[in-house]
Amino acid sequence: MVPMNNFIIGLAVIVSTILIYWGSVTFYKKCRHIYTAPIISSTVVTIVILLIFQIPYETYMIGGQWIDHLLGPAVVGLAYPLYQYRNMLKKMLLPVVTGTFIGAVVGITSGLFLSKWAGFSELIINSIVPKSVTTPVAMAIAETSGGAMPLAAVFVMIAGIGGVLIHPFVLRYFRLNHYIGRGVGMGSASHAIGTAISMERDDLEGSISTIAMVLSAVFVSIIAPGLTVLLL
Amino acid sequence: MNKAVTIIVQLIGLYFLYWLGSVIQKVLHLFIPGSVIGLILLFALLSLKLVSERWVQKGAGFMITHLPFFFIPATVGIVSYAYIFKGKGMLLIAIGMFSTALVMGLSGAVAQKMIRRMDGSYE
Repeated sequence: MVPMNNFIIGLAVIVSTILIYWGSVTFYKKCRHIYTAPIISSTVVTIVILLIFQIPYETYMIGGQWIDHLLGPAVVGLAYPLYQYRNMLKKMLLPVVTGTFIGAVVGITSGLFLSKWAGFSELIINSIVPKSVTTPVAMAIAETSGGAMPLAAVFVMIAGIGGVLIHPFVLRYFRLNHYIGRGVGMGSASHAIGTAISMERDDLEGSISTIAMVLSAVFVSIIAPGLTVLLL
Repeated sequence: MNKAVTIIVQLIGLYFLYWLGSVIQKVLHLFIPGSVIGLILLFALLSLKLVSERWVQKGAGFMITHLPFFFIPATVGIVSYAYIFKGKGMLLIAIGMFSTALVMGLSGAVAQKMIRRMDGSYE
């Protein structure tokens, strides 16, 4: 009977996750505020439900791992927008690639040194290092380098939401007034959340931000493991 | 219905590339996640025209539109790590924000300086 029970629990988790996600997307469409982004509201609602009904995370993950399993193919799918924008990328290859690469190095080293200097554990340091890339990639990097996947996801949210909150000051301070400078900055630092903001401002800036986001995911996953071993 | 079938078939294709990427990672002992290797493979296949854009368009589009859905279970996992952000852990939020500001400003400034120089040479 146990496997059957697991099947029912798993199915219930998946169905309720779909419902919660659908609900938060509908809510976000009505109230476009960064704090109501579907990933934030879905996570909060799910955690509140788990706490109210005293459901252990392990039980939830009986169904959750099935959804988790689709993260890999989702990352593979990011090749498609990169291919779509290939002509734009070709024209501006050097500035976009160089800027994004610098961003990847700055993000890894500053996160690593600041958290090491503050005396945090290696588990935390390895989770904060990939924070500027999109969640599934950051989690995969954290997993291979000895960090914690959920913790990495939280740092990704800090980089995304934090980046959106501070971007008006940063763009002004660094005098980023060209759509390439803005797009590279938003995509490199704040991944999909930053890209969404760029898209709202300007299509071109949004496309550059998409390219920067995907390139950054590739760069950080290539550089982070080596740099971490070298510097930690 | 037809669209759903197309999406599912294309998802299986994406999953295959993810699996291939994971195998490559294990065999070559790479640190790059298998999913990112799969991404690079798909980009190469598309660029070499070995895979048609139409073969992945709907599946990839669906996954990217609903990307947040796929990492809900992972972010919910924060319940097991909430203790880290107590007390001194608050500092981690400041570190994350400061590092993010540096990444945004410096990457953007470098890209902008380079494009201005390129534009300048055409004038």
